[in-house]
Amino acid sequence: MDIKKRIKNLLFFHEPQMEKPFILKEDSSSDGRDNSDIEKNKEGSRKKKNEDLLLLKKLEKIKLTDKKEGSDKEEKPDISKQLSENKRVIEERFSIPLNGDLIIRKFDITVKDSVIAAFLIFFDGLVDTKVINDDILQPLMLLSNLDIKSDGENILNYIRSHILPHNQLKEARTHQEVIDEVYFGGCGLYIDGLDTAFTADVKEFPSRSVERPNTELVIRGPQEGFTESLRSNTGLIRKRLMDQKLITENIIIGKRSRTPCSIMYLKDIANDSLVAEVRRRLKSIEVDHIMDTGELEQFIEDNPSLPIPQIMATERPDRVCTMLTEGRVAIVMHGSPFALVVPITSSDIMYSAEDQYLRFPYSNMLRIIRILALLMSLLLPGIFLAITNYHHEMIPTDLLLAILSAREKVPFPSVVEVFLMEISFELIREAGIRIPGPIGPTLGIIGALILGQAAVEANIVSPILIIVVAVTGLGSFAIPNFSAGFAFRILRFGFIILAAISGFLGITVGLVLIGLWMVNAKSFGVPFVSPVAPRTSGGFSDAVFKSPVWKQEKRPDYMNAKRGRKQPHISRRWIKRDVESNKPDSEDNNG
Amino acid sequence: MAKGKLLVIFLMLAIICPVMTSCFDAKEVDDMGFVIALGLDKGKTNALRMTLQIAKPMAGENGGGGGKDDLPYAQFSVEAPSIFSGLNMINTSASKQISLTHIKVVVFSSELAREGLGPYLHAMVRGREFRPNMPIVVARNSAEEYLESVDPKLVVNATKYYELVYQSYKYTGLIPKVEFHDFYLSSESLCKNPVAILGNTAKFQSVEEFDLKDSTYLEHGRSEPFEGDFYAGDIPALGGSRSENIGLAVFDGDRMVGELDGTNTTLHLLCTGDFVHSYWNIPDPLSEGHYVLLDIKQSRKPRHHVEIVEGKPVIHLTFNLEGDLLSVQSTIDYEAGDNSMILESAVESYIIDQLLQYLDKTVNEFQSDICGFGTHARGLFTTWAEWEAYQWKSKYKEATFTVDVNFKVRRPGLILRSKSSVTSESGSDTQ
Repeated sequence: MDIKKRIKNLLFFHEPQMEKPFILKEDSSSDGRDNSDIEKNKEGSRKKKNEDLLLLKKLEKIKLTDKKEGSDKEEKPDISKQLSENKRVIEERFSIPLNGDLIIRKFDITVKDSVIAAFLIFFDGLVDTKVINDDILQPLMLLSNLDIKSDGENILNYIRSHILPHNQLKEARTHQEVIDEVYFGGCGLYIDGLDTAFTADVKEFPSRSVERPNTELVIRGPQEGFTESLRSNTGLIRKRLMDQKLITENIIIGKRSRTPCSIMYLKDIANDSLVAEVRRRLKSIEVDHIMDTGELEQFIEDNPSLPIPQIMATERPDRVCTMLTEGRVAIVMHGSPFALVVPITSSDIMYSAEDQYLRFPYSNMLRIIRILALLMSLLLPGIFLAITNYHHEMIPTDLLLAILSAREKVPFPSVVEVFLMEISFELIREAGIRIPGPIGPTLGIIGALILGQAAVEANIVSPILIIVVAVTGLGSFAIPNFSAGFAFRILRFGFIILAAISGFLGITVGLVLIGLWMVNAKSFGVPFVSPVAPRTSGGFSDAVFKSPVWKQEKRPDYMNAKRGRKQPHISRRWIKRDVESNKPDSEDNNG
Repeated sequence: MAKGKLLVIFLMLAIICPVMTSCFDAKEVDDMGFVIALGLDKGKTNALRMTLQIAKPMAGENGGGGGKDDLPYAQFSVEAPSIFSGLNMINTSASKQISLTHIKVVVFSSELAREGLGPYLHAMVRGREFRPNMPIVVARNSAEEYLESVDPKLVVNATKYYELVYQSYKYTGLIPKVEFHDFYLSSESLCKNPVAILGNTAKFQSVEEFDLKDSTYLEHGRSEPFEGDFYAGDIPALGGSRSENIGLAVFDGDRMVGELDGTNTTLHLLCTGDFVHSYWNIPDPLSEGHYVLLDIKQSRKPRHHVEIVEGKPVIHLTFNLEGDLLSVQSTIDYEAGDNSMILESAVESYIIDQLLQYLDKTVNEFQSDICGFGTHARGLFTTWAEWEAYQWKSKYKEATFTVDVNFKVRRPGLILRSKSSVTSESGSDTQ
């Protein structure tokens, strides 16, 4: 019975349960309610507006509940005035004495003849001990003995304003705050008689320095890549994008790992509903541990089954900055050298950071090459199979005879041949990454060469197929986005099977299905094939080709940024003779 | 939900593909034998004698070497009642399945063509393996012999040979432009008759055998033959492939009714508008016995104007040609203004003369509208029934022509002024 029901469920049509997905709309901008109220009077169908309002209300509800939850957690001080009580709590929370690397340093502060007990907690290895010694312990233990000028009514204020010279001192009212800080490389200071603890940022993680990015190499352009620590990453972005409106919101993900993350956006450019949606998705994640943006990406993406990535993961701060200026939102996570940028469209995965820095004819040529690479990577083996198995009449006779004579001695059907070579190519690629050290790439090349050569000599595959597979492999690596390269490699196998089953018909069916799949997909409310379908202004020309920098006047339409224009119609003002060169005119730019 | 969707997608994939087509018509290339040329003769024991050239893929692989057996193709002959049964019979001995998808040329013997090609044409149109753009050749003797004479020792790549040799109308003008599809349509048409390329095996084996008895130069009123004054196989030439293609076979419907030599073929191309360019010898208007060599191009397609006067077709033709001087044997200064006018009008009248002779031949000798003037006449009738009733093909023999040629000399080549060469005797005279 159950099986019968299941089959029935599979085969018959179901009214889809309408759970309204997030759609990035134009009018839900900065002060959403005011705007929509005005616009409601102005124009537009009432129904649509109502929907928008509903959506907004929903969003606000979510915001409110978020706040409530947050305030519940934060604003319930649980630090006791008894130092011993605090110490007990801390020891319990950190599982002392099981935990070996947590240091609890007990000491006394002498203030105005009274001796106050205190203790300091921090993790060995996460902090700069010299800073603790010089800026925290030393002043507390020694300087407090100095002559005190003011009347010490409030020890808390006194300590903060006079004794501790450390630059990042925060007061914490809950143990959790202290613990979060301690895990993030701070130290916590409990003082007897105070129901407030101090946290000081003294972190010095063992981390690597800023290096060249590994995946997105460019020739022309900055050579910095993200590292594994959050603050240096946000710092790299801020260093490059010195915009007053650049906001870095902190957020903690993971119930146990409590991994700090930052949401970055330009406040007066990024669409508010987009920022709210990013915030909502991040906050809603219920997970114990989260380690990398690679995991985070999977938690927040819209279509987990779509092979093509819908979130940009990049190692390049400059790339993040460029995308932020277009009104996108970046997510940086502690411990991950990849920042996530949302939303993206299908054309973004074909762009490289270099495109923006190169003169436009060069970058356009590169883009055409990349599109070719994509098509080859996706379709070439499939087309080869379709032609050699079904459509002999489609190729020039000489080429056909060349293929024919190459295949003459091969014992396998061409499908087996293609699979054999594709799989060994993937093997070489995977092995090349796993093989340690400098022999990796060398072995990869040698493996490919020798394997190919020997396979041809042994008449196991035809030489033309080696060319096909090699060109396909090259094509897949010319796709600038790492994940997209994977996606197309997987889809390629699908196309090989389809082509083997039914030639060009199969390939066409595959293309239609992938097209449907992609058109159906959204990335944070933005249709995935956006500038093309739905067609927005700029459309095809912007999606495929790049206009010169001085002509890129508008932000992408589908981003629905608060400011659509990046630069005025004439941004190279020197071409007008009457404009003085050194007369700054910032008003136009912001218009 | 998403899982269900995915499943549905895969189900769709799984169902659609095998249902719409079938994987079992997949054939590996190396399981197929690709016919590059098909020859049809009248059979001794059966209706047809088929000659097939099947490309041999391994040929040429090891580069050169090998004697006569290292042909780029294998030739099969079989006698069969029809084309497709012949294919079946060949498949009994050939190891690979015969595929006609890459056929480059179909050759009919003139014997067969004179009986009518209708049944074969229908089979070829119906069979979707035949390419619509392959040329049709009529071999004056036998198709088998013609195909054999494509000497593989000199033609390394037989398919390339076939692909290129029938395109030579573009620069020689000595063969017509023939594509199978047009050929078939014209043979069924009310207003047009098809032509085919005339081919044959060269009859001369050595220089001693050369003679001009089959040349048509006398017919054209010349004292010596020009390049086009031959039928296929009669050219006094040696070397290269022994198969010759020059001239055209005139058809009436699906039946061959006659042959035209190379010169008339050039004129035929002019009339149909397929002429691209070729070299012409024009008698020098100012110096008897000399020729002016011109590279003549069609600057615009010819204009056809058809009238029906008292039930008879009257056809006006206007040609726009231009040419480059290639050689002036008499060293008369045809580059200069007046002389060039003289030359131009001489060329015009020469071409008009030739064209009228050619058109006269189609009307009186063959009574076959191979230039397709009927397509321009159709518009004169208000209904299709009237057009059918008029019976253009039978009225064509009453057609009269007026021909107008505009010819301009465009470039004198690299010599800007012709001058006679200076010898020791003439030198003192001129100075």
